[in-house]
Amino acid sequence: MKVEDLDTGEKITWCPGCANFGILMSVKQAITNLVNNNKLDLNKVVGVSGVGCHDKIYDYLNLNFFHTLHGRTLPTLFGIKIGNPELTVIGFGGDGATYAEGIAHLVHSCRYNIDSTFIVFDNQVFSLTTGQATPVSEKGLVSPSTPLGTGEKPVNPIALTLNCGASFVARGFALDIPHLTKIIEAAIEHRGFSFIDIIEPCISYHNTTKFLREHVYKLEEANHNPANYEEAMKKAQEWDYCYGENAKIPIGIFYKIEKRTYTEQWPQIRTWHKFERKTDFRKIIERYRS
Amino acid sequence: MEKQILVGGAAGQGIAKTAFLIGKLFANSGYYVFNYRDYPSLIKGGHNFNILKISDKPVYSNENYYDVIIALNQDTIDKHEENLNEGGFVLGDKNLKAKNLLGFDLSNIIEKLGGSPKLGNDILVGAFFKLFGLEIENVLKTVREIFKNETIEKAVKEGYDLVEQKIKLPEPGKKNKFFITGNEAIASGAIVSGIDVYFAYPITPATPVLHILASKQLEHNFMVVQPENEIAVINAALGASYAGAMSMVGTSGAGFSLMNEAISLQGISETPLVLYLSQRTGPATGVPTYNSQGDLKFALNAGHGEFPRVVVAPGDSKECFYRTIESFYLSYKYRILSIILGDKHVGESNYSFDDFEEPKIKPSRFIASPAEDYKSYLITENGVSPRFVPGEKAKVRASSYEHDEYGHTTEKEEWIKKMNEKRFRKMKYIKEEINKMNPVSVYGEGNNLIIGWGSTKGSILDALKKLEDFRFLQISYLSPFPTEFVKKEIENSEELILIENNATGLLGDVIAEKTGKIIEKKILKYDARPFTSEDIIVKVKKILK
Repeated sequence: MKVEDLDTGEKITWCPGCANFGILMSVKQAITNLVNNNKLDLNKVVGVSGVGCHDKIYDYLNLNFFHTLHGRTLPTLFGIKIGNPELTVIGFGGDGATYAEGIAHLVHSCRYNIDSTFIVFDNQVFSLTTGQATPVSEKGLVSPSTPLGTGEKPVNPIALTLNCGASFVARGFALDIPHLTKIIEAAIEHRGFSFIDIIEPCISYHNTTKFLREHVYKLEEANHNPANYEEAMKKAQEWDYCYGENAKIPIGIFYKIEKRTYTEQWPQIRTWHKFERKTDFRKIIERYRS
Repeated sequence: MEKQILVGGAAGQGIAKTAFLIGKLFANSGYYVFNYRDYPSLIKGGHNFNILKISDKPVYSNENYYDVIIALNQDTIDKHEENLNEGGFVLGDKNLKAKNLLGFDLSNIIEKLGGSPKLGNDILVGAFFKLFGLEIENVLKTVREIFKNETIEKAVKEGYDLVEQKIKLPEPGKKNKFFITGNEAIASGAIVSGIDVYFAYPITPATPVLHILASKQLEHNFMVVQPENEIAVINAALGASYAGAMSMVGTSGAGFSLMNEAISLQGISETPLVLYLSQRTGPATGVPTYNSQGDLKFALNAGHGEFPRVVVAPGDSKECFYRTIESFYLSYKYRILSIILGDKHVGESNYSFDDFEEPKIKPSRFIASPAEDYKSYLITENGVSPRFVPGEKAKVRASSYEHDEYGHTTEKEEWIKKMNEKRFRKMKYIKEEINKMNPVSVYGEGNNLIIGWGSTKGSILDALKKLEDFRFLQISYLSPFPTEFVKKEIENSEELILIENNATGLLGDVIAEKTGKIIEKKILKYDARPFTSEDIIVKVKKILK
C-alpha cells in the first residue's frame, strides 16, 4: 500500500505549518511500513481520539475510528480491545486531555497493560481553546487563563507512565518525522501498552520550535538501554518540561519490556461478535427457584 | 392469611441470610413471600433488619407491624416491639427484655454445640420453623443448601426441638416458587440476552449485579470489568459495544452523574448500550443504602444536547428480568441507550413467583453484513443505520462530533438537521415495538385511579386488595412515553391519585408534560423508606374524605 491510501480526502483544518502535520505523516508512514511488511492488517486497525486539536486526525486517517470525548480516549480504547482483542488499537490524545481531564485513565491504562498504542500530541497548551496552560506547561507560563503565570511545576509524563507500569515508554519529536515514524512503528509492534509523548510546538500559542530543535537529542545515540528501568527513570527526569538554558531533551524509546497484557491475562475475552451463544433460559433462571 | 415477620440485629450478625432462609423455605413450601432488607451504611454494628410478609396469596410488599420478631439483640426489641401485633411475640435469648418473649437459653445451646455465638440465629430460626409447623426434613434440606455447614444444621435442629407448633398455616399452593431479587433478575436477564461484557464500579444498590455477574462470567462465557471510575466504565462500555460486544453498565445516582457526558456520546455516536440505574436516596451521598424514586427526570434528561433514549422501570423482580431482555433487544436493534430504571427496593427485595415464562425475545447482536460502500451513519427510513463492527473491509466510524453518513466531521446545516431527524425518527418505530411490550399495566377495577411507576407497584397492589373502586395504572415505559394509554386511563377515571417514593411527584410532571393532564392529588413518601400498603390505604382514605 501507499501512504496516500490512508487519506480520507477531508480538508485538513490545522493551522498552516502546524507540527501536527508531522505527527500525521509519521503515523501514516508507520502504518504503511507495517502493513507492507505484513506486520499489520489494515482492516483490523482502529483509531481512537479525544477532543482537542489532535482529534482532527480522526478525519484524516482512513481507518476504523472512534472519535470520543475530551480526555476519554483511553477508557474507550480499553473497551474496544476488550470488545475484540484481535483489533490493533491506536489512541490519540492531547496534553490537556490526557494530563488534565483524563489523567486517571492514563495511570490505570499503564497498570492494565492493555495491548495498544497511545500517542499524545504534547504542545504544552490547550490550543483549540486558544492557548491556556495545561499540566505540562512550563512553570511561569503566561496564558489567557494564567495572566500571572502558572505556579506549578509540570507533570512529567515519561516518569509518570514509567512509574505506573507502562511496558513501552517513548518521547517523540513532531518535527523529526523519520525518527518519530520509527518510534510509532515500534510502539504498534510492541505487545503491551505503548505510550508515546510527542513534544511539539504550537505555532499559534506556544512556539517552542527553535528551543526544541536545539535541545533534543536521541536516546539511541547516547547508548541508552531501554530494558533498564532505573536508567529509563533517570533519563525521564533529565528534562522537566521547562525551558532552562541547559535543558537536554532526550527523545526515543526510554523503556520497553515484555509482560503479560490485559487480554492475555483474561482468556475469556474473545472476538465476541463471532462467538455463537446458546443461552439456556431455564438453566439461568432456575437457580432462583426455592 | 398473612404473617409479618421481622428479623433484626446488628450488621455482621447474619440478619439478611437468616431472613433469606426463612423466605426461601416458605417459598419452597408453597407460600408467597416478600422479603424487605433495611440496613445502614456500615459493616459491623448498627441496626439491620429484614421484614418478611408470608401468605397463601401473592404478596409484594412489607408492612411495619409484626406477628413475630426474631431479635438478635435488645436494640431490635426496643426499636420494633411497639409494632408487634396483638398476640404477636418475640423470639430471642432468655436474657432479652420484651413484653411477650419466647426466650431460650441460647448460650447454653451454643456451648453444647461448640460453635460461634452466630449460631443463635440458627437456633431461633429452627424454633420459628417449628412454631409454624414446617417439616423438619424440608427445613434441614434448605439449610444445607444455603449454608453447607453441619453445625448450623445441628443448631437449627436444636431450635426446632425446643418448641411445639403454635401457628396453623393454611394449605400451601404450588411448591418450589421462585424467590428472587430484582438485582438477581437483572443479572439473569443480561445473561439470557447474551451479555458479553459488563462494566461497573461498586455502588450501592447496583453492586449485587456486579457481584452476581462476576461470579457467573466463566460459567456463561462473558467478562466482567471494574475499571477505575464510572467515567471509564461507560466509555469502555461504548468502546466494547462499538467493537462488537454486547455490553452493559450498572450504577446508582452518583455514578450515573459521572456518566452523563458519555451518555451524550452514546446519543450522537449511536453506539448500543444498556444501562442499569438503581436509584437510591439523593442528592449527593444522600442516604446511600435506602430507597428513592428521585432520578426519574434525571434518567429521562441525562446528557447534554437532545437525543432519544429508552427508559423502562420494572415494578418487581420478574419485570426486572423481562425488561432487561427488552432493553438489550431495543438497544442493539436501534443503536440506542436503554436505561433500566430500578431502585434499592426492587433491586434488593426478594419477590416470589410461581414461574418464569420463556422470553419471547431471542438474543441478537443485530450486526449487518457491510455494503460495498459502507456508511456508518447511513440515513434510513426508520433512522437506524445498519450496525457493523470493525475488523473487516468496511471502515466503521463512530463520532462524538456531528457527522455526515460516513461519520466524517461536519458543521454543515444540512447534515446537522438530517442527523438530528434520523436519530429521533427511531422513536416512532421503538414506540410501535413497546406498544407490544405492555408499556403500561392496569390492575383491579373501579372508577378511581392510582398512578405509579417502578417499585411502588408492590405496596400499591397489596393496598389495592383493601381499597374499593380503585384501579392502579403502572407506567413501565417512561421513554418513549405511552401517552395515548395514559391519557385514556386518566380520562376514564374520577379520582386521580399519584403515588411516588419521592418529594415532588416526578411522574406527575412527566404526565403533565406528555398528556397535558395535571394530577392534583399526590401521596409522596420521601423519608428514604418504601411505602407499606398500610401507608397507602390510610392516605388514600384520607384523600377520599
